[in-house]
Amino acid sequence: MRLTIRDTKAQVGDYIGDYIAKRINSFHPKPNRPYFVLGLPTGSSPLPVYKRLVELHQKGALSFKNVVTFNMDEYVGIPRDHPESYHTFMFKNLFSLIDIDPKNTHILDGEAEDLYKECEDYEAAIRAAGGIDLFLGGIGADGHIAFNEPGSSLVSRTRIKTLAYETILDNCRFFNNDLAAVPRMALTVGVQTVMDAREVVLVVTGQNKALALSQMIEGGVNHMVTASALQTHPWALVVCDEDATNELRVKTVKYFKSIEKVQDEVEAKYGPSASKSLGLHRASAA
Amino acid sequence: MSDVIRFTNGYLALPDGQCVRADLYISTSTGQIISGQSSFFTSNLSPSRTIDLDGNILSPGLIDVQINGAYGIDFSELELDTEDGGEGKYIAGLEEVARRLVETGTTSFVPTIITQKEELYSKLLRLLRPRSPANAAHILGYHAEGPFLHPARRGAHSETLLMTAESAPPIATFDRVYGRDGLDQEGVKIITLAPDVRGVMGCVEELTRRGVTVSIGHSDASLEVANEAMNKGARMITHLFNAMPPIHHRDPGVIGLLGSPNQRPYFGIIVDGLHSHPNTVRIAYAACKEGCVLVTDAQSPMDPNLPDGVHDWREGIKFRKEGYKVLIEGTTTLAGSCCPLYECVSNLSKFASIPITEALLAATLRPAQLLGGEISKRKGQLREGFDADLCVVDWEGKVRSTWVGAKEVWRDGKIGQGDYLGDKPKPRKVNGNGLVNGH
Repeated sequence: MRLTIRDTKAQVGDYIGDYIAKRINSFHPKPNRPYFVLGLPTGSSPLPVYKRLVELHQKGALSFKNVVTFNMDEYVGIPRDHPESYHTFMFKNLFSLIDIDPKNTHILDGEAEDLYKECEDYEAAIRAAGGIDLFLGGIGADGHIAFNEPGSSLVSRTRIKTLAYETILDNCRFFNNDLAAVPRMALTVGVQTVMDAREVVLVVTGQNKALALSQMIEGGVNHMVTASALQTHPWALVVCDEDATNELRVKTVKYFKSIEKVQDEVEAKYGPSASKSLGLHRASAA
Repeated sequence: MSDVIRFTNGYLALPDGQCVRADLYISTSTGQIISGQSSFFTSNLSPSRTIDLDGNILSPGLIDVQINGAYGIDFSELELDTEDGGEGKYIAGLEEVARRLVETGTTSFVPTIITQKEELYSKLLRLLRPRSPANAAHILGYHAEGPFLHPARRGAHSETLLMTAESAPPIATFDRVYGRDGLDQEGVKIITLAPDVRGVMGCVEELTRRGVTVSIGHSDASLEVANEAMNKGARMITHLFNAMPPIHHRDPGVIGLLGSPNQRPYFGIIVDGLHSHPNTVRIAYAACKEGCVLVTDAQSPMDPNLPDGVHDWREGIKFRKEGYKVLIEGTTTLAGSCCPLYECVSNLSKFASIPITEALLAATLRPAQLLGGEISKRKGQLREGFDADLCVVDWEGKVRSTWVGAKEVWRDGKIGQGDYLGDKPKPRKVNGNGLVNGH
């Protein structure tokens, strides 16, 4: 795993946005793999990333014509056009602002008649698309990834999940503070679904994520912090802001910062291709 | 091919007078405002056209419920001595106005006829059924101003043509004058009447029941009489302040309805800066903004393209235009109103010190609500399922483009054609593989 630290949330957003744009732009469609397959989260952390992607698109530096997306999760029991649904979030913050073909976007349908089938079909659709090239994610304050709340199996697949009481209380504010109106269930990709992606990028910002970040990086692999599973992923990148590093050891922070510094020095001396041959450009270099 | 058009990079004028930076989606096949999100996820449609609003305001199209004519055409003139009784020429004139009026941001209007000879009403009203000519504003119905008006407040209406309703029952006189068909026809039917004229009060309830929007105007009524008319179903006051007793603190008259503690009326008001003093407009707006409906009360010389100077009008009469002031040549008499509706909106914004987006409500949401029924469910708001009758206005209140039924029917010549409402060239060119050169 590699950790990149930036000063502010906005800089984190720019960094990951540029990173994803580079991946999309360097993707060469082949007859059997015509699309770059991108996994996407919702929530406040990824917003600066989406903002950057939209900016790049508007500048003409990025197109989503060759991109297929799969979202991580969706509530069960609220209509798609509910202001708090993840369909609404994605449409408002990304899909309506870029040139993606609506047919190429996938979000779990929380209103499906047969929720089990919906989940199975989703996994099948991901396989049919050739697997996910890059899964962008965030983490919860308790270290969950997607709706894989603490205690979720680390080899779980797309399924129905009951939300933790803490998550329901936290969501109350989006539903007129009416506890009864807050969805209690969600459909979510599993930890293994994320782990299957060829590359995973996590955005972790804010002081309230600091403890979760230290647990997922400095703690062991543990189902109470489901994001920690990424320690075993061959190509995982976490980008965080300074606030989120507050619970990390100084040594940890310094080490990850030094990796970036070394890469910069190598590149300055031998050019951008040098770090590539040294393997330093890969997030897994750490 | 997708039938979806998206408006972006501008502000949507909302029914609460605020505006919000958001996108609006319309469908060219239904002619309505739609949910971009459902068309994206359910029908998998992305917009086939995106209009860059360039920071301007997207408003529902303007609705004028009192307009006597424009562009040299007078809605009260019917040339009876021609072969078809003047109908062909009348309709042609009506549609001509509908086609040209869109340059003022108006997408719906209610042609208004002043007091006529009795026998003309049945002929005229029949021609004023709802009508939607191509590439033009909708004609919603009719507004009959008179003949049941008070002689003391008749204004420009001919005294000899004014009537009372003294038959038994009084409604029989209304049935005779407007024709049963005229009173019961489809579409908008506004009648301006004076409840203080003999027999008229007894008809208000029945008219309302038959779908007529009753408006109090050209009336000498006291507050008590005006209140009674309201209780019987009247909803509106015609051109507030004009053709009614001025407000007196002990007997506020018709104007006093604005201070009513319970049911307040809608009131039409001509905000051209001439028919009412700006301060008067501010007082009325402050007293009862929820009733304020902007009307042009325009006469045939209304034409924003007409240069200042002396022009021919009716036989032997010329008028002199000075800005939006139109005088009978050689006199200081106003030849009616000639101020286009979008100017009334920006005047209201200035006179009442309110944002342009709030002033727009008086020409969009409120007239739609005043008319009620289907109109209030289809027009006057940027809401899903509502008609895609729209106008783009800048922050000065000038109209940039007008859309009727999801089709652009007018655009300011200065801003050119295309999907961009500004003088900048359209940015970004994406090549075949969807990527910009070099990336």
